[in-house]
Amino acid sequence: MANFILRKAEPKDVSDILRLIKELAKFEEMEDQVILTEKDLLEDGFGDHPFYHCIVAEVPKHHQSADGHVIIGFAMYYFTYDPWIGKLLYLEDFYVMKEYRGMNVTLCICESSNCQIYETPSCNTLFLLLKLGFGIGSEILKKLSQTAVRTRCSSMHFIVAEWNKPSIEFYKRRGASDLSLEEGWRLFKIDKQNLLKMTDEE
Amino acid sequence: MTCTASSLQGAIKEPVASLFRTYETHPTVAYSRLFGGIQAILVTDQRYCRNQKTLFAKMRFTICAAKPEDCKDIERMIMELAVYEKMPDQVKISHKELERDGFGPNPYYQCLVAEVPEELMSKDGHTKVGYALFFYTYSTWKGRTVYMEDLYVMPEYRSKGIGKALMATVAKVAKEQHCVRLQFSVLDWNKPSLDFYLAKGAEDLTAKEGWHFLRFHGIALDNLAQEAP
Repeated sequence: MANFILRKAEPKDVSDILRLIKELAKFEEMEDQVILTEKDLLEDGFGDHPFYHCIVAEVPKHHQSADGHVIIGFAMYYFTYDPWIGKLLYLEDFYVMKEYRGMNVTLCICESSNCQIYETPSCNTLFLLLKLGFGIGSEILKKLSQTAVRTRCSSMHFIVAEWNKPSIEFYKRRGASDLSLEEGWRLFKIDKQNLLKMTDEE
Repeated sequence: MTCTASSLQGAIKEPVASLFRTYETHPTVAYSRLFGGIQAILVTDQRYCRNQKTLFAKMRFTICAAKPEDCKDIERMIMELAVYEKMPDQVKISHKELERDGFGPNPYYQCLVAEVPEELMSKDGHTKVGYALFFYTYSTWKGRTVYMEDLYVMPEYRSKGIGKALMATVAKVAKEQHCVRLQFSVLDWNKPSLDFYLAKGAEDLTAKEGWHFLRFHGIALDNLAQEAP
């Protein structure tokens, strides 16, 4: 199985991070909502007051992606506060490029004349090749949880879209609970326009 | 319709008379117990004119950044809010953790406290009557955001502009820090809060976009951290 490393993001990684942010937003069908730039990421993550922390997954050059990238996954997180239990680790974004994920099934119909991989005597033999993922997602999650425990966080929180069944299953398999279902929490936002209205009214 | 307290007292009898006595010493307490038509008694009776400013003008209060010595009051109000949210047994931290985590070299939260003057103190003698606890977060789509974790005003001080002022101050801080959004969460049964926020232009992202809150907590978190590679 190919290897990979997980490391703290550095300023030079911001263009890869933005690329992966946009890929994840595309998957969530909200690509046009990404207005963040590389400059924002640099200033907000590596300035005097970091607003986020980031770890990236890097593969060796010989495993680079189809487009020639070696940074193929990331997780962005920050610390929040729950007045009932104290410090929390909040996972904002967590993404691994598709070709480096989970179970990839490759169907190979092999005829003896043109089979490049295996030597087979028979024609039209169907091979089902299971290409296992690198385990990157699991490793990132493990590293985040270790960070949470090490920094005395009581919990790791995040949000997932309810239609994103693969992600919900991924987290639930590992012991996550859905607070929206269990306790009825709903997420709200007030955008800039209405925020400014509130400050003007004061 | 005009009437005097004395003319009505005969009709409503002792409970109202005792309210008036309470009203002279603790105007806020009396006000919070009165509804609808009984308020008219207080307006027209000249004996109580001197208290009208307190009752019917906008309530006087200040909103300030919390100080370490406010943590005991904040702890008290956190518990009151947890009781309201029907989860008091989930509160595990005290004013000590609040002091350590909010006022050290690396604060994990910001807090605003609403205070009333002594003459308006609560029946238990408190002048700190509301708080807003928030922190900075980050959206990979929009950048800097503020998350408002708690917003609370003691029941007898509600509907007087304190909640609105607390939230507007959080919005002001957000604006100063170039934050583009304010996020928070509300329990689905909490209709008064839902109405309050929706009136201010809040959008329910759980309804609109299907976002659910998940967490790894306690043992689940420990297990995840120890998972074999």
